[in-house]
Amino acid sequence: MARLVVLGGGVSGHTAATFAAKWLGSAHEVVVVTPNSKWNWIPSNIWVGVGQMSKEDVTFDLAPVYAKAGINYKQAKAVSINPEGSESLEKPFVTIEYTLEGREGESENVEYDYLINATGPKLNFAATPGLGDANGLGEHTVSVCTADHAVHAASELDKCIEKMKAGERQKFLIGTGHGMCTCQGAAFEYIFNIEHEVKKAGVRDMADIKWISNESFLGDFGIGGLHMKSMGFAVSSKIFAESLFTERNVDWMVGAHVSKVEKGSVDYELLDGSTGTESFDFSMLIPPFAGVGLKAFNKAGDDMTSDLFAPNGFLKVDAKYDAGAYENWKASDWPETYQNPTYENIFACGIAFAPPHPISKPMSSPNGTPITPTPPRTGMPSGIIGKVVAHSVCDKILKGSDAPLHKASMAEMGAACVASAGKGIFSGTAAAMTIYPVVPDFDKYPGTGRDTEYTFGEIGLAGHWIKHILHHLFIYKAKLSPGWTLIPE
Amino acid sequence: MVQTIITYPTPPSVNYSTDVRVFDEKMQNLVDDMKDTINANSLDGLTAFQIGSMYNIVIIKKDDGNFLELINPRLVFTEGKVTTTETTAYFPGLSAKVTRHEKISVVYEDKELKQHSLRAEGDFSILLQRKIDYTFGSSFINKLDPDEKKRFSVKLEFGSDIAISEYCPTSFNRDKILKVINILMLAMVLLFVYSLFEDNQENLSQLWDFQLYTSFGVLGLNIIYFFYAQYEGKKYTSCTSCQIGNIIGTTIISLVKLSFIMLVSFFFI
Repeated sequence: MARLVVLGGGVSGHTAATFAAKWLGSAHEVVVVTPNSKWNWIPSNIWVGVGQMSKEDVTFDLAPVYAKAGINYKQAKAVSINPEGSESLEKPFVTIEYTLEGREGESENVEYDYLINATGPKLNFAATPGLGDANGLGEHTVSVCTADHAVHAASELDKCIEKMKAGERQKFLIGTGHGMCTCQGAAFEYIFNIEHEVKKAGVRDMADIKWISNESFLGDFGIGGLHMKSMGFAVSSKIFAESLFTERNVDWMVGAHVSKVEKGSVDYELLDGSTGTESFDFSMLIPPFAGVGLKAFNKAGDDMTSDLFAPNGFLKVDAKYDAGAYENWKASDWPETYQNPTYENIFACGIAFAPPHPISKPMSSPNGTPITPTPPRTGMPSGIIGKVVAHSVCDKILKGSDAPLHKASMAEMGAACVASAGKGIFSGTAAAMTIYPVVPDFDKYPGTGRDTEYTFGEIGLAGHWIKHILHHLFIYKAKLSPGWTLIPE
Repeated sequence: MVQTIITYPTPPSVNYSTDVRVFDEKMQNLVDDMKDTINANSLDGLTAFQIGSMYNIVIIKKDDGNFLELINPRLVFTEGKVTTTETTAYFPGLSAKVTRHEKISVVYEDKELKQHSLRAEGDFSILLQRKIDYTFGSSFINKLDPDEKKRFSVKLEFGSDIAISEYCPTSFNRDKILKVINILMLAMVLLFVYSLFEDNQENLSQLWDFQLYTSFGVLGLNIIYFFYAQYEGKKYTSCTSCQIGNIIGTTIISLVKLSFIMLVSFFFI
């Protein structure tokens, strides 16, 4: 009997673990180690953050689902990996620390034959002074990164709406809280959902809403922007986004690294080297992501974290990490199998794998501060990669260790994204976009690096309905309800 | 080499907003062509996109005759709003009122792809914003407010700024006359239907009289409509071409409907 250990139960880890359990059956063991007791459909946190959904609407208990799937579920956080075992344990193992009520702090070594690292990111609030610290979110801003954060954000938003109703003007500042953030799309959704809600509350004229982000142009989204092809016309996501911001009377500032957060204001540095201060009454700033801080030790017990993990804390896989400057970047730099080059039984998926470099053009201020979106590995690609990695591991277990690995490069993968711009059965809007490939292939598609035939977008009520249907569909799939394997990632 | 500046309605390219990753001989030739094209057409600036290239390059001709070369420009800071009348080589002979940022900061690269920045205001700021929009595949048409966009659509149709002081409205006073005509004819139809269930000859006689007088009224309203509609149409010089046909057609349809109602009323009432 082989044992597969999956670290993390988010979109990617959950996909990998559930498919592996299905394909391996009861002859082998699948273990999931995740510190959370609930699964969270993170894209809908946006709607929790404006009070349009509850925490219960976007989460469910993992234990009964894993019991149904025959998965050994350990509610714990991974602390370290010993890929060569140790002097006392022959097999490789992961050291975990329980977070389960009643067993908090209890440590255990979990041996594995294969390991999938799908821990997701650490929300690195501490990277920006005032945005938060090692314990998480600070007191000056809100977040929608977790369901609990979103519930808090909704209550703060309610307070602002009450103040506006009482005649007090409020300033909303939404965007990214550092020069090296990703997930601009989530902030984009949140700012327009806030705009929609304050309009619904009848206080739009009392709200000043401003966007601040590390993108070098509006509509970059961490993927270098995209061509929105609609009704026979092609328009850049920059023009599309600027039109939307202008139409909704939302001001914006791009190329900004938030250097400090204080009560009611942020300090920022721009790509041109200038600095400034922006005030706010309500602010949601996405933090930068980092690896979760897993350590690695060799058989002798020496620290080998830097061998297994990239400096940003994400696991090294089959990517080309020495691609060099922007002009040398190629589609082939991006990983295909997500297998660690040193330890063939270790894989990574979702945000946990270390990307070779950003997708957007790298830029920095004259002071040397990097202000560049880091590459997104969330949403559809993370689910696809999780499934492909599970497929590779299962083949190795069932067909032998020489079985060929399955591939899913983000440079050969398309992605669909539905970004909400307001919730409502008849008043809702969302921008539906598809891009192919996610990572531009400048050799295959000279110029933009993307196939304009498969890269398009549209905004409207239908997009909102799609987003709402997907919310129910993906939660249905994650609960392993009948027919779950038929629903695509 | 002087290149042809692509003008409306030909789209310059379906590919655009491609950052220059390597500034090689091909890029140098492109920059040289852009400069030659600016000089040949006495322009104040040009983007590669306007001569059909996908690369993010903007060339500005400065007052002293030298050129400012901006590779991969980005607009990072904006302040204030200003509305001015702009022209552009893509829409030769046409102008539009465009609202843009008053002051801006732009980061860009030189031929060695070394990053620089500049601050701009006034006409220079507006010129840079218009050119940067082109590098992302957009003319100023995407920056116009809805009313100005309607006006500009008319200018595009006529290919001229001249004699176009207004745009074609979507509703007219003549439509109100048409509405009254339709209501009266609907009443006539209802009375006709009622007559099918009425046996009293005296009542039927009164009904016929009513139909007759109403038909005179409808006929009169159609005549008023025909002449007033033409008068009203002439007030909007930009949209008369299709109106005359529309007015004649509407009047004929209305009279045919009236004739039909009166014909069936004559035989059945």
